[in-house]
Amino acid sequence: MLLRLWILLACAWQVCLAAPGAQAAPLVVIVSSDNSAAYVETAQSLIQELERGGLSRHSVLQLNASQWSASRDESPRLYVALGSEAADLLARSATGVPVLCALLPRGSFESILSREGRKGSSRFSALFLDQPLARQFHLIRLAFPALRRVGVLWGPESSRDRSELRALAQASAVQLVEAEVSKDAPLFPALKQVLDGTDLLLAVPSPQVYNNSTIQNILLASFRANVPMMAFSSAYGRAGALLALYVTPVQVGVQAAQMARAVLEGKALPGSGAYSNDFQISVNEHVARSLGLSLDVQFLSRGLRQSEGLPW
Amino acid sequence: MVVRGIRNRILLAAMLPVSLVALFLVAAFLLIGMGGTEEAHEQHLRSFARQLAASSEYGLFSGNVDHLQGLAHAAMQEPMLRSVVIVNPSGGIMASAGQVGYKMPAQLSAQEVLVHDGERGTVLLLQPIVLGQLALHDLFEQGATAGAAPTPVLGHVLLELSNEKFQIKQQQLLLLGLLLGLAGVLLGGLLAARLGQRVIGPVARVSRLIERIGQGEFGARAEMRAQDPLRDLQQALNRMAESLESGRDEMERRIAQATQELREKKEEAELATRAKSRFLAAASHDLRQPTHALGLFVTRLGQLTHDAYAIELIANMDHAVQAMRDLLDALLDISRLDAGAVPVHLQAFAIDDVFGQLRTELTLVAANKGLRLRIRCCKAWVLSDPVQLHRILLNLSSNAIRYTNEGTVLLSCRVKEGGRRAWIEVWDTGIGIAPEHQESIFKEFYQVDNLARERSKGLGLGLNIVQRTAQLLGHSLQLCSRPGQGSRFRIEVPLTVPGDVVDRRGPMRKESPDDLAGLVVQVIEDDALARAGLVNLLQSWGVRVAEAPSLALALEQVQKGLRPDLIISDYRLPGQENGIESVQRLRQAAAKEIPACLISGNTDPDLMQAAKEAGLTLMHKPVRPAKLRSLMGRLAQRV
Repeated sequence: MLLRLWILLACAWQVCLAAPGAQAAPLVVIVSSDNSAAYVETAQSLIQELERGGLSRHSVLQLNASQWSASRDESPRLYVALGSEAADLLARSATGVPVLCALLPRGSFESILSREGRKGSSRFSALFLDQPLARQFHLIRLAFPALRRVGVLWGPESSRDRSELRALAQASAVQLVEAEVSKDAPLFPALKQVLDGTDLLLAVPSPQVYNNSTIQNILLASFRANVPMMAFSSAYGRAGALLALYVTPVQVGVQAAQMARAVLEGKALPGSGAYSNDFQISVNEHVARSLGLSLDVQFLSRGLRQSEGLPW
Repeated sequence: MVVRGIRNRILLAAMLPVSLVALFLVAAFLLIGMGGTEEAHEQHLRSFARQLAASSEYGLFSGNVDHLQGLAHAAMQEPMLRSVVIVNPSGGIMASAGQVGYKMPAQLSAQEVLVHDGERGTVLLLQPIVLGQLALHDLFEQGATAGAAPTPVLGHVLLELSNEKFQIKQQQLLLLGLLLGLAGVLLGGLLAARLGQRVIGPVARVSRLIERIGQGEFGARAEMRAQDPLRDLQQALNRMAESLESGRDEMERRIAQATQELREKKEEAELATRAKSRFLAAASHDLRQPTHALGLFVTRLGQLTHDAYAIELIANMDHAVQAMRDLLDALLDISRLDAGAVPVHLQAFAIDDVFGQLRTELTLVAANKGLRLRIRCCKAWVLSDPVQLHRILLNLSSNAIRYTNEGTVLLSCRVKEGGRRAWIEVWDTGIGIAPEHQESIFKEFYQVDNLARERSKGLGLGLNIVQRTAQLLGHSLQLCSRPGQGSRFRIEVPLTVPGDVVDRRGPMRKESPDDLAGLVVQVIEDDALARAGLVNLLQSWGVRVAEAPSLALALEQVQKGLRPDLIISDYRLPGQENGIESVQRLRQAAAKEIPACLISGNTDPDLMQAAKEAGLTLMHKPVRPAKLRSLMGRLAQRV
């Protein structure tokens, strides 16, 4: 309580100092990779959440990557990097200020860490776009209670999750049909392998496997094999995946704001990064109808949220 | 021809722009059409290849050869396609259809390539097959895009097309273009001809009108039409034709008037000429009677016995009478030529005969004057009147002798002009004629250097008679003379061959004075003096004469039993009687076709014609005894 009071006083002091002419240094600087809709939405949500928590609007500075480069004099209490590019930029700059990377897949974050020779820490943490495998598996079970076989394509970026998923499958008595995709292992044979006799294709984020170029043929192949896909983003849902589990920019913004407030309050960021607490489920009704399936989003959402103790 | 020229020019003027426009339109049509066709054809081909590439994407992605083969076969449904080949990135053929007529390229471009093979008439289109990009804008993509590889090429579609059908289509287009052009030109031509006719029609009408007016048809008028573009011109032409017509009428009227005046003047002149002829005839008649009588009396007187002085006087008297006779003969000739009463009897005869007669007549005359008369004849036959030709030559020769004091008079005949003509020439070595007189000497009564009209120098009528007689015969008469060196007259007479019409007895017949003795001749003459002279002359020839002053007395003689061998009657008798009628009446009374002749001082052509029709010879007073005797000899032979 005392700390909180101290912070408030410190903030008030700073505000008073900056009040008449000089602007006070921001406490939180949001660096977006670019000005695309998702980043803007996330930033707005973050700022609103921070303001709701009592932080002044002036304490939050919103920049994009290029702007930030031009004003490196800022020394906030926290950098929030939105997107892989901003995260990479801040990782390379080594300002000493804690950095919270948001709105990026776990694979990307890890790639940045390894590229910069860093490790995830409270000074450089992340809020992943990915959904935790357990949550995904839980949703699968909710949507398809009679599920027996689930196909998974592992790419270089996702293969570290293999053991976790296997454990989850084993626990649920679901057979996991896996295949590896790499530069030497073409996609289609692997895809054919995992689609053969499975009830669902679980998409695990890996740019090598799932990208703009491949998704169409993957979706087409799965559709022809009569195997529905559960994807990790709303875009895939719109593109033809039956089911998608994902976090929205607003949800990311809210959670990032909560984490930022924690940092301002003196807490440390989670060292190994964090998954989003909230999530969204979408069902492509057209695909469902084509496959002769019927899924109730409300039901699924409620069930999943209940299982995780979230309000619904 | 003019109209046709205008028509051609109008057609050309109309057709040229029409043809050019049609040509340009067709050219533009073909350029746009063919270019558009080619472009559309290529565009269609590319579009088809892209669709096939897109369709093949999943087949290549999934390695589904059957699927690809199906697509290739389906693609072959497209007309003009020769072959379809789908290859994988390494160039391996995944599917093919049709007959592949090219060698597979070693390097397959990642871009769309179109290759024309002119030799084979084909087009090869190489279309890469790439993975379809689905723009997800997914946040999961953001980190990966930076390092992402370029769009992978899954394989290629190779389409081979035959240009044949395309070329057929182009040919059809070309044909259509040409047909359109031809139709345009034809239509333009028809319109041009139609419009041209509207211009040419009036021009042709005006042209015909001008032609008619030009041919003198001034009554021609242009038909006025309401829409005629040349209406004003035709109106002007009509006015012109009207004025021309009135001008012509006026001129014709004046010509008719002038002609009438001329005719009147000619009639006046003819009247005057007739008056002159009548005067000449009357004068000669009145003069002939006494001259005739005088001649007869002198002849009779000469036959009587006289002393030497009386004989000389009588000779002088005879000379004077002869001169008077010559004058009257010449005047009579002139009068007959004036009256056109000289008969012309063209016939073929030997010129030799005429020359012989002239020799007889002239030799003595020339010798008397101490001149040499040379006659060079030829054996030619000429076509002329022997009597008239004889008169011409006699005149010319007499003149030559008269005007030559010493030397020679030459009468010659030569065949000239390649045997078509005879040149009969009279040469003399006389005094000659100065050039200024050479035309005038042919005028009546014209004599060179004879202002005193000396009788011995002739009458001045001879050459005039010669010239007029030559004209009458159609012979040309030429004179060539130099003063002091002599003269040459030439008459050109056409040659001919001997013919049946030749009357050799004509002027060449020798008279035999002794035949008349014992002949009974009835003379009817009202003029007592003339009758007495004639009777005396006849009686001197031993002729028995029964004389009567009138027809009544003559008839009385016949009724009393007189049967004369010959009747000589004056034409003009007392009362209403005339010689012709008298002869007929006497013949009737004697019941015998008695030979007869008429004597008259009248040279009236009507009288001559009447005598000729009655078959009677008419002798003009004063009758020359020689002529009379000759005639009587001939008539007596018929008895």
